Amino acid sequence: MVQKRRHASFKKRTGQLVALSIAGSVLLAACSSNNADNGGSASATASAGSSAKTKAATLKVEVFDRGNSPTGSSITKNYLTTFVQDNFGTPNNINVQYVPVPRSEEVNKLNVLMASGTDVPDVVFTYDTPTFNRYAQQGGLTDLGELLDQYGPNLKNFLGEDTLAYGQYDGKLYALPARRSHLGKYASFIRQDWLDKLSLPMPQTTDELYATLKAFKDKDPGQTGGKVIPLGMSIAPAQYEPLIWSFIKPTSEEQRYTLTQQLGSNDFPTLLPGFKDALQFMNKLYNEKLISPDFGLDKDKTKLSQNVSSGLVGFFSEDDMNPFYADGLYATLQKNMPDAKLAAVDVYTNEEGKHPKPEYTPIGMYLMIPKSSKNAVEAIKYLDWMASGDNLFKMQNGVEGENYTLKDGTPVMNTNAAEEIKNRLYNQGDMAIISNGKQLGDADKNIEAYVVGMPQPYQEETRKALTISRSDTFKPVRFDKPIEAEAKYGTTLQDKFKEIIVKTAMVKPEQFDGTYESMMKDYLSSGGQAILDERTAAYKAMK
Amino acid sequence: MNAFGYLRRYWQLYALLVFPLLYFIIFKYGPMYGIVIAFKDFNFFQGINGSKWIGLDAFREVFAMGDFYKTLRNTIMLNFLDLLVSFPAPLIVAIMLYELKSAWFKKLSQTILYIPHFISWVIIGGIVYQVFGTQSGMINNIITSLGFEAVPFLTNKADWLVTYLIVGVWQSAGWGTIIYLAALTGINRELFEAADVDGAGRVRKIWSITLPSLKPTIVTLLIISLGNMIAIGFERPYVIGNTAVREYSDVLSTFVYRVGIESGQYTLATVVGLFQAVVGLLFVLGANYASKKLADQSIL
Amino acid sequence: MKARRDGRIFDAVNLIALLLFVLVCLAPFLHIISISLSSSRSIMSGEVSLFPIEIKWDSYKQVISDASMIRSLGFTILLTVLFTALCILMTIAAAYPLSKRNMKGRKLFMFVIMITMFFSGGIIPEYILVRNLHLLDSIWALVLPGLISPFYLIILITFFQNVPDSLEESAEIDGSSHFRTLVSIIIPLSMPVLATLSLFYAVGRWNGFTDTLMYITSPEMYPLQLKLYQLVQNNMISELLQMEGASGHAALQPESLKAASVIFATVPILIVYPWLQRYFVSGVMLGAVKG
Repeated sequence: MVQKRRHASFKKRTGQLVALSIAGSVLLAACSSNNADNGGSASATASAGSSAKTKAATLKVEVFDRGNSPTGSSITKNYLTTFVQDNFGTPNNINVQYVPVPRSEEVNKLNVLMASGTDVPDVVFTYDTPTFNRYAQQGGLTDLGELLDQYGPNLKNFLGEDTLAYGQYDGKLYALPARRSHLGKYASFIRQDWLDKLSLPMPQTTDELYATLKAFKDKDPGQTGGKVIPLGMSIAPAQYEPLIWSFIKPTSEEQRYTLTQQLGSNDFPTLLPGFKDALQFMNKLYNEKLISPDFGLDKDKTKLSQNVSSGLVGFFSEDDMNPFYADGLYATLQKNMPDAKLAAVDVYTNEEGKHPKPEYTPIGMYLMIPKSSKNAVEAIKYLDWMASGDNLFKMQNGVEGENYTLKDGTPVMNTNAAEEIKNRLYNQGDMAIISNGKQLGDADKNIEAYVVGMPQPYQEETRKALTISRSDTFKPVRFDKPIEAEAKYGTTLQDKFKEIIVKTAMVKPEQFDGTYESMMKDYLSSGGQAILDERTAAYKAMK
Repeated sequence: MNAFGYLRRYWQLYALLVFPLLYFIIFKYGPMYGIVIAFKDFNFFQGINGSKWIGLDAFREVFAMGDFYKTLRNTIMLNFLDLLVSFPAPLIVAIMLYELKSAWFKKLSQTILYIPHFISWVIIGGIVYQVFGTQSGMINNIITSLGFEAVPFLTNKADWLVTYLIVGVWQSAGWGTIIYLAALTGINRELFEAADVDGAGRVRKIWSITLPSLKPTIVTLLIISLGNMIAIGFERPYVIGNTAVREYSDVLSTFVYRVGIESGQYTLATVVGLFQAVVGLLFVLGANYASKKLADQSIL
Repeated sequence: MKARRDGRIFDAVNLIALLLFVLVCLAPFLHIISISLSSSRSIMSGEVSLFPIEIKWDSYKQVISDASMIRSLGFTILLTVLFTALCILMTIAAAYPLSKRNMKGRKLFMFVIMITMFFSGGIIPEYILVRNLHLLDSIWALVLPGLISPFYLIILITFFQNVPDSLEESAEIDGSSHFRTLVSIIIPLSMPVLATLSLFYAVGRWNGFTDTLMYITSPEMYPLQLKLYQLVQNNMISELLQMEGASGHAALQPESLKAASVIFATVPILIVYPWLQRYFVSGVMLGAVKG
């Protein structure tokens, strides 16, 4: 350790030497002023640690930077940062600083910050379960159990036992998971006007859906000139998961635990009975040209959105409220063809006549305090403040009368407000980190907040979609100890999983079995088997 | 000449080298201790020094992975095809530009040809999809309207290779011409005049005047690309590749990203990087040696 | 006679082939411009290809009225100019001695440099180095670590070696020092390649953003490409973004705004090359030899 430090300071000196001589005085001036800045803030932090009574402590909090800060504000200085400083920081003699982390690089940047050991924010977070597990396993996080009891009673109460259970690792509380307000994921949507035109009933089961898709294909009610795509598909989970999970056979608890594979943050059904039937069905759809022909290329749903909004698609599954946003899918579709009607529908059926679909784990981000942090107490106080009174509500909704009006306890956002008023909340989802979505008391009220946020004509259908996405759902299975093989092989197997779907769908029906067998073999040997073994062992240990 | 006399005559050369060498030592060799991560079970919080030594365990792990060999094979395959197609492309385009009579068209086309280099791969990915897609890609729209069967440019492995190469040439050929055009400014115009007197045709002049004057540049670039035979950028295969053709589009860089970076296993990423570095260095030294023997030119 | 007709056919084929290639290279750029000018309805329905549909200028108005974009443009220009100037100086300083085949220790130096083309310490030690030099969150973090590209250095060495020895020898006979030979003979003769390498360095810096992701945290020092990257990457659907559920939706930006930002960030660097083209006049070396 000593050696390392000497090494570093040697480099520092030589570095300055080089910089000094390269470009003469211009460089020198810039460099030294920069050093002064750094030095200044560094010494401020240091003294804050030693004599917190007199000087304001500095609390550094991570914030996602998505590059969408409106004019006049920045990710580190905006309405909400000021709100936090005024209402939490200044009264508690704490200086709250935000450390931006690029959204799409969050895990990478966090890794580097953690590895460098300094400049790590006091509050960091990620949505990524494997990252949380890794940090906990490598011993880099502060144990929050006692701190939460001592400094965070409101926070503890707000998050609740169920949510907090997800922050446990080896029996210790290493993260405070944010609470998720709406657990539903997916709904399906069908062109009501096409059904009406062909006088078809609303399909209620997978079989009826298949017949409907056939009719869409043969009769082309949208007069697309043969371009009709009866079932819109992509290689994003929202499109294939509802279909696949409906084929999974009812399973025993043991099967659920041992055969499910959690890759990344989601459960995958690769080894569950019925997975092959789902693939077979997709293969049939593909070969009968009932499904988007290039779905394997559509990683980000761009093509699907284009097809839906230009009126080519008869039926598709999607994140429950995604089609309904202003200027979203449905709005664009209706601009293109004013008579189009999109109806939310729950149709994929399993053996028992139910419509099973996955739901979210009841958590949002994992909020963590690195072990190197000297401000763990302040960090908990900050989160506790957010959970107390109406602070969270104010951070999510802004100022009553300006940003929203209350209607039966539900805040209705004022869409006609001036830009700078609306812009106050542009990143509230990333600032109000203890919650994912609005918290208004219970799940029904929570979704109502989403419903009233949609354009008036779509609110009824949104409500329906949000009800569908919450019905017949099953929860992700959870071990009290993470499966190490999943952390190791997770990303590889996610790719392999998609490869299985695309490849088996696109082959000729007679080649299906061969392709399926060889792809599954590859899946198992690339880590699938290791996960299965570990889960089987873990299940035995748990019983 | 004794050492003192040598230094008195040449000290300025060494003086010039001081800062560049300092730069390499501080910024390149300074962080190089990070290579030891390959031999350690890297723990983010104990740092490079504090992590536990594991010897060659990580190498064994990587070399036991089926995906490693598959991605290594694909890397070499794609680079080799690039060497055949994308390497000569800028040279040919540069000569074509050089032969242009019209000065304004020359300037204009140079400026436009290098635009693709400035478009980020994320955007190129979207465009590739629109142009080469099976369902409604522009090219397939034409093919099907002529009554032919659509070509799966992106989803069939062999067709995908063609797409990969075309996009590569399109993206880099114009940009690559610049260095050749710079070299071409050095040609002595009198040589052409002499050739005209001899009655030499255009192709003949290109062959015996233009190309030879480009030889040093070509050889240098060739040696360096040979050194990069098993290094491959992440974005092009990742963006043009897709799930259906992963058997070909999955390369070492995407493998490292997936297994090493995304999964937080920096040890594995470092192992692969070290392997690539050693092989790359051997390749470049070999190419340098061969070029010394064959073309009497070397970069070392 | 025959040769002249052949020549004309050659010219025609050459012209047509280049014209086609030019069109192919121009098309995607036109596509992006069209997107930037089209309505969100037409973009979302996939109708826009080479011409804008339902033209509107809102996106450009929004980009230009965004003070942070303008500031970012200024910073990026400053960064690029500073970086390019220092890079060229350092690369010349390294290339000239190393182009002397008879210089003692040359092989060793070359080897030391070539190693760095292949071996690197990786992102964590590099970050720690930049931090220890107190360069984090300053413009120098984006300048100093990339000062010399070994690849460009080798190219420059190759070009320096092609300067006719006779020129240098005559200078040496006149008693010119190495410094003076470099400044008064080698550099003027190498303007085309120096212009090329400046362009390479400048474009590399302009387009590069991965280091800024790691080293820069103050929004005032976000280069354009970082802002662009954030805009463009935001709606790449991944499992992680899906976890955000509805709360991620608010951050989505209209496609036309992204396209307008791409144009805004690309055009300034695109016009550098036409400007540098005046250094590409052939016969520079010839004139010098005669003079």
